[in-house]
Amino acid sequence: MTEEQRDLLFDLLTKKVLYGLEPSEEQQLAEFDQSVVEAEFRSLEITTAAINMAELGDFEPMPDHLFARVSESASEWMPNAAAEEAETAPAWQPAEDRGITYAEPERPSLGWFGWLGWAAAAAASIALALNLFVYRPATPEVAKQEPPAQPQPITPADLRAQLLTAPNAVKAEWSAGNVKEIAQITGDVVWSDDKQTGYMRFRGLPVNDANKEQYQLWIFEDAKLEAHPKDGGVFDVTADGEVIVPINAKLLTKSPKVFAITIEPPGGVVVSKREKIAALAKVAA
Amino acid sequence: MTDSILQRIAAGDSTAVEDCLKKYGGLVWSLARKMLRNSDDAEDAVQEIFVDVWKNAERFDETKSSETTFIAMIARRRLIDKIRHSNRRITADSLDDVLLEPFTRADKDMQLGLEAREAAVAMRNLRPEQQQVLRLSIVQGMSHQEIADATGMPLGTVKTHARRGILQVREHLGLGSSKQEVAL
Repeated sequence: MTEEQRDLLFDLLTKKVLYGLEPSEEQQLAEFDQSVVEAEFRSLEITTAAINMAELGDFEPMPDHLFARVSESASEWMPNAAAEEAETAPAWQPAEDRGITYAEPERPSLGWFGWLGWAAAAAASIALALNLFVYRPATPEVAKQEPPAQPQPITPADLRAQLLTAPNAVKAEWSAGNVKEIAQITGDVVWSDDKQTGYMRFRGLPVNDANKEQYQLWIFEDAKLEAHPKDGGVFDVTADGEVIVPINAKLLTKSPKVFAITIEPPGGVVVSKREKIAALAKVAA
Repeated sequence: MTDSILQRIAAGDSTAVEDCLKKYGGLVWSLARKMLRNSDDAEDAVQEIFVDVWKNAERFDETKSSETTFIAMIARRRLIDKIRHSNRRITADSLDDVLLEPFTRADKDMQLGLEAREAAVAMRNLRPEQQQVLRLSIVQGMSHQEIADATGMPLGTVKTHARRGILQVREHLGLGSSKQEVAL
């Protein structure tokens, strides 16, 4: 294989593992030795997955409702799941409450001695029950199985408060931009270069219809407002009152001077025309 | 030797399903949230990914990768497919999106497999531009063109950084032998 072919092969494989290929590119790849392609692709797939995990950040726990939904869907693929779940369900939870019905197993026929055994067992049970009733404690304690304590989620407000204590964290107050309807905006933005994270806190930023437009954050490292500020991601406001929005800067951001919120089409834009500026926050020099 | 969760699933042990969700739910959810940037899409994707995991459990080979990496691979396949068939733009983000942390985060106990820890080491040894391109493409799911637009790098340079960076990390992981490829 020539150097050129090798470059082409790895360009195609890299694209395939990162984004997938177009049909014409798949065709190009098909012209290479498929045993080589398969082996190389598999190792690149492992590499990419490893990088993805390494660079992902801390894991966020799966929401409870999603856990339940996925768990439920598993029973379609693993037919025994529902039955085993029923067997291991807590004893205090009636099966009827869980919507589980049981088929009566067929019992072998009992002979005379069999019935005698059952009668003796029944008598012993009655005696035991009477005994428990007579000698029960004055204040009976009913064992109640509490559901396991769920860890309290860390809210954006908690994370913002933590970030405020970080050394070198900067804070700037929001002021109105050029949108008349958003003149009463208040709040602040906190950013840490060290952690490359930040939080925006707003009051007075209206709820947006995400199908029509979204808010987008821009981070300027030059107080003169450079032409290509850092994209801080788009976000929605879904409730009135105070909202706290994490900043997801996609590029390394150093010493931000100005934060700006623009209103853009759904999904945001690569370069903003800066026609609708919802808010601005200047970091004090 | 104790069977892995995937081996137990492949063997029909349905109790392994919940173990799998408990152990890998956070990983898959975080991957989906980061790449899809929309909670509703991420939820649908997570469900589909775990179905893929149940169906492919028997293909897991612990001599080739860790269980964690195998599940991340399955997740990425599904997520890339989702991105390709959606109109997601690079800047799409959601209100309570998780944050990127700096590279030093890899020093924390992440309970990840060896591959991920070694990949973190290898990433730190890459040139900053290579790190940036790989981070944007792998973690954010941005295309080469989108990275070129966002960073101002020529498209060809983005491709080269991606190819050389990924091969250098692979080399560090001991998965390939492409020394001439990774030469800078």
